[in-house]
Amino acid sequence: MITIIDYGMGNIGSLENMIRKVGGAVCVAHSAEEVLDADKLLLPGVGAFDNAMKRLGEKDLVTALNQKVIIEKRPILCICLGAQLVTYTSEEGCLPGLQWVRGRAKRFCFNHGVELRVPHMGWNDIDIKRSSRLLDGIGAENAFYFVHSYYLEMDDPNDIVATTEYGFEFPVVIEHNNIYATQFHPEKSHKYGMRIMANFKEI
Amino acid sequence: MDTSDPFIEFDEAGNCNHCKRAMQLAKRYPRSLSFEDRKKALDSLLAEVKRNGRRKRYDCIIGLSGGVDSSYVACRVKDEGLRPLAVHLDNGWNSELAVKNIENICSKLNIDLYTVVLDWEEFKSLQLAFLKASTPDSEVPSDHAIVASLHEIAKKECCRYIITGYNSQSESILPSAWSQGHFDWRYIKSVNRRYGTKKLKKYPHYGYWNFLRLSAGLGYVHGVKMINLLDYLDYDKEIAKSYVTEKVGWRNYGRKHGESNYTKIYQEYILPEKFGFDKRRAHYSSLIMSGQLTREVALEMLNEKLYETDEQLNEDLFYFTNKLGISKHEFREIMETPPRSYFDFPNYQKDPLYHFLANGYRFLKDLGLKQ
Amino acid sequence: MLRTRVIPSLLLSGDGLVKTERFKNPRYIGDPINAIRIFNEKEVDELVVLDIGATKSGSINFDLLGRITKEAFMPLAYGGGITTAEEIQKILGLGFEKVIINNSALNDQRLIANAAAVCGSQSIVGCIDVNKTLLGKRVVYRHVEKKNTNIDPVLWAKELETLGAGEILLYSVDRDGTYSGYDLDLIKAVASKITIPLVALGGARGFEDFKAGISSGASAVSAGSAFVFHGPRRAVLITYPARDKLRELDGLHG
Repeated sequence: MITIIDYGMGNIGSLENMIRKVGGAVCVAHSAEEVLDADKLLLPGVGAFDNAMKRLGEKDLVTALNQKVIIEKRPILCICLGAQLVTYTSEEGCLPGLQWVRGRAKRFCFNHGVELRVPHMGWNDIDIKRSSRLLDGIGAENAFYFVHSYYLEMDDPNDIVATTEYGFEFPVVIEHNNIYATQFHPEKSHKYGMRIMANFKEI
Repeated sequence: MDTSDPFIEFDEAGNCNHCKRAMQLAKRYPRSLSFEDRKKALDSLLAEVKRNGRRKRYDCIIGLSGGVDSSYVACRVKDEGLRPLAVHLDNGWNSELAVKNIENICSKLNIDLYTVVLDWEEFKSLQLAFLKASTPDSEVPSDHAIVASLHEIAKKECCRYIITGYNSQSESILPSAWSQGHFDWRYIKSVNRRYGTKKLKKYPHYGYWNFLRLSAGLGYVHGVKMINLLDYLDYDKEIAKSYVTEKVGWRNYGRKHGESNYTKIYQEYILPEKFGFDKRRAHYSSLIMSGQLTREVALEMLNEKLYETDEQLNEDLFYFTNKLGISKHEFREIMETPPRSYFDFPNYQKDPLYHFLANGYRFLKDLGLKQ
Repeated sequence: MLRTRVIPSLLLSGDGLVKTERFKNPRYIGDPINAIRIFNEKEVDELVVLDIGATKSGSINFDLLGRITKEAFMPLAYGGGITTAEEIQKILGLGFEKVIINNSALNDQRLIANAAAVCGSQSIVGCIDVNKTLLGKRVVYRHVEKKNTNIDPVLWAKELETLGAGEILLYSVDRDGTYSGYDLDLIKAVASKITIPLVALGGARGFEDFKAGISSGASAVSAGSAFVFHGPRRAVLITYPARDKLRELDGLHG
């Protein structure tokens, strides 16, 4: 059973649809108690960093998440803004993140003369750096949907499973023990996203 | 065929009425002719179509569903040098495969396409009405609309000929208890009146006189002739599939009627579960009668599950209910309502004039006097 | 490499899909659920759903939108009748990636700023309908009142970016449904003045138009008629270019 954390910022409907499509069981947690009952978690995120951390705090979810993820080491998949929340800080806001993995979120800032627009929006392929159960079955030919204005910067290269290139190379899939994070939206990435979800279902 | 058809009759030799009827159909014109004579008859017929269509934009209408039969007709018609207008009925349930097949056929063969799009809210109401009516005739709303549309467009385009994908070699057997009322506007109206929520204002349909003519295999009152092209050929589905795949990149659905998401669920779940009818029996029986399949292989194929996995079934049911806007509970109610039949509703067949004309016509046709 | 997005745009009117010509004469296309299911199976890059009657009727068809999201495993954007931040959050919660704000931004510029602060700029698309006046000047068009304004689309696009929009959907009214190609001059003019992605819509017939749109500065291309009509009789049939053909569009733009 995958428990999606609903803190008012995320594509709950689409995630439920995709988990069901790959044959998984899914439920939604609205409170700290429901999070504490979960086996496996999914942290979505669409929107602004500080707003997300504020909401997680308001609903007492941070403590519950720390319990499940850091102490009990339950698997968790964090998506898009959710991926950035696992780090320490973000240039988007002032509040600290969940601080589970050493790193930060930085705003895209291209050198003068580079004509790339922000946000990084659309389908891009990922370059797999090391093996991970999350990416089983994903080959060199792939494409995932990205939409973000801030990118991940990780301190420990071992945490980086895959990167992509948009003006420069940056991490897009993170694995740190039981914590998995993707900058892209698997629930919006057709068959490639379904592979990721199916893999997470088995972890 | 077995007793899942409640009206099946077996004689002392063990032959059922369906086989007997199939054998009769196999002797009916043009199947009654030799291969060479059929070819001559077809050539002459097609020459007539071309002659008639000389100063017109199109010389014939073909129905196009994306399935193998209509796709093959499209290829053959172009091979023979005809200038068809392809007509497709969009009833809101097209699968992506069907749409892709239609696109490939029309682009690669350079055939103009005309789509009749049914008003979905109206059609949804009609389909739900048929499901709630609990007869096994829930395909009638689409089938009736297709025929009406083909004829209406033939009239609009001043085309005298509709070339169909019907073929007795794979469709000779279909018990009336399993599905009837396709031509019957009175039946459709009465179901809608009792269970529908919307009036049928835009739905293509035809009335009593065309019902009579179509029941007799004739075209519309306004002079449109229907040509069952495949009956002039030794039509083999498997060979046809290879041909259209090579010619236009046709993709196989893996099952009959896979071009419609509605038909898939209806024939592979609702009919067997609710009524006990497996339409594959009728289809395979037709193929056996025309020598394209052996009984042994057919029986083996019947052992294959209609739905390979529960996940696939659940997914299709999810879409079915989501699209029709009904809850799981409402769907269960539909499945659990006791079956009814066409005869529980007002229909044209109850009309005494119909019986008189039908019997007379059948008699003449079986004598081979009518073509 | 970032792929160039090719995005079908579907117009909703009531419960059905329609296609217009120059924003007029809506022609019924069919059921939105099935259309989206087919696009999903074709693995399209993204889909835009615009409810052209929502602003006038004053209500958003949340029930239909919820059913639409169940059929799509690719990004969806919705526009039509959005006037409050609560509506935006509700739509995003249903499963849409982005919301498209058009009329409301013209009436109240705070909406975009508020929404961007809560949901992030990447979720907010500013839609600009552009019409040509009799003298050939391009102006922002108000589709509800069916009137030209005297607002310059380039300046308005910049304003939307400043307010917090993450993307601009540039819709050419006079080219809509005409198969006459994108308004390339308009695309060039707007693209050169903004830094956020620009999606071109209105007039595209097919691949060559997509190419021209990208080369003129659009980050992505969108179309309606090109994906729902087929052939000289404009038969309703859903199509989408083959993936290897679409790859020719990658890397064309900056």
